[in-house]
Amino acid sequence: MIFQAILIIFALFAVSRVSKQYRQRKVSVHWFVLWTLLWMAVMAVALWPHSTDLVAAWMGVGRGADLIVYSSVVILFYGLYRVMVRQEKMHQEVTELVRRIAIMEEIKKH
Amino acid sequence: MVASMKIVAVIPAYNEEKRIAATVADAIKFCDAVVVTDDCSRDQTGAVARAAGAHVLRHIINRGQGAAIQTATSYALEVLLPDVIVHFDADGQMMGEEIPMMVEPIAKGEADVVLGSRFLGKRANMPFTRWITLRLALLFTILISGIRVSDTHNGYRALSAQAAREIKVTLDRMAHASQILDLIKAKRLRFVERPVTIRYSAETLQKGQSSLGAFIILKDFFKDKFLGDV
Repeated sequence: MIFQAILIIFALFAVSRVSKQYRQRKVSVHWFVLWTLLWMAVMAVALWPHSTDLVAAWMGVGRGADLIVYSSVVILFYGLYRVMVRQEKMHQEVTELVRRIAIMEEIKKH
Repeated sequence: MVASMKIVAVIPAYNEEKRIAATVADAIKFCDAVVVTDDCSRDQTGAVARAAGAHVLRHIINRGQGAAIQTATSYALEVLLPDVIVHFDADGQMMGEEIPMMVEPIAKGEADVVLGSRFLGKRANMPFTRWITLRLALLFTILISGIRVSDTHNGYRALSAQAAREIKVTLDRMAHASQILDLIKAKRLRFVERPVTIRYSAETLQKGQSSLGAFIILKDFFKDKFLGDV
């Protein structure tokens, strides 16, 4: 009961924060919509916890909580992969910058 | 100089102020120009190399040997317009007098890339553990890259200008050696091997790759092969 209340309060807080950032143009509309949908789903689960069990049963997984954990792990792994790829790209971009600076400096000297 | 080909030596260097002057002096005897990349050394490597007669490119942030080679190559191709580019190590382990031999197959039009090898004929004075590691690397390279060479981590290479343009090194650290071989195969470049002498001294042996280093190379190489260009 308390946990559900905390979840709902936190969800409302998260949505209000991102809404403020969106109005300040700090985040894009895509991010705002996705984030809001995510937290609305969290609120729905908080209000009707057994809804997850229904979904889980339909998907062939034991309990709703299990489904949420399994899904989170998969999503996190994918997210991590995307971050790694982006980091690798940034690393190469930095190298390209360092290279350009090195070459430009030497050309200036000749 | 070999049959009027313009030869530029490319030397990646990091903290080599004690050896770079001799290396540049050695290489410059057999080349038209020497380009040293000072990979953000904390000593006077850059200044010493310049005093010895090399073009010097300074990385303001350390990027690794692969990146240093690519920087020097890009500069050479853009500014010096060579016919052949030779990869040469900064620590004096390689012999400049072998440059003409390395360049010859390219000058004759027989190959696009010439790879130096410690395992062709000449028996190198190398410690056993390093020999074993290199043989394993050879097996790995055959299996993964589909290219058969006798010495997979030999930095002594000669490339035609066109081959140098096609082989863009993006793995900045030590995995670049595997990437170069991979690209030779992928771009279907004609390559040959030539025996080279690598002089090991107690000092330079300490500098070599650790076993952990070998794993990091593997990790980088696989990451690029499967995640690269995304």
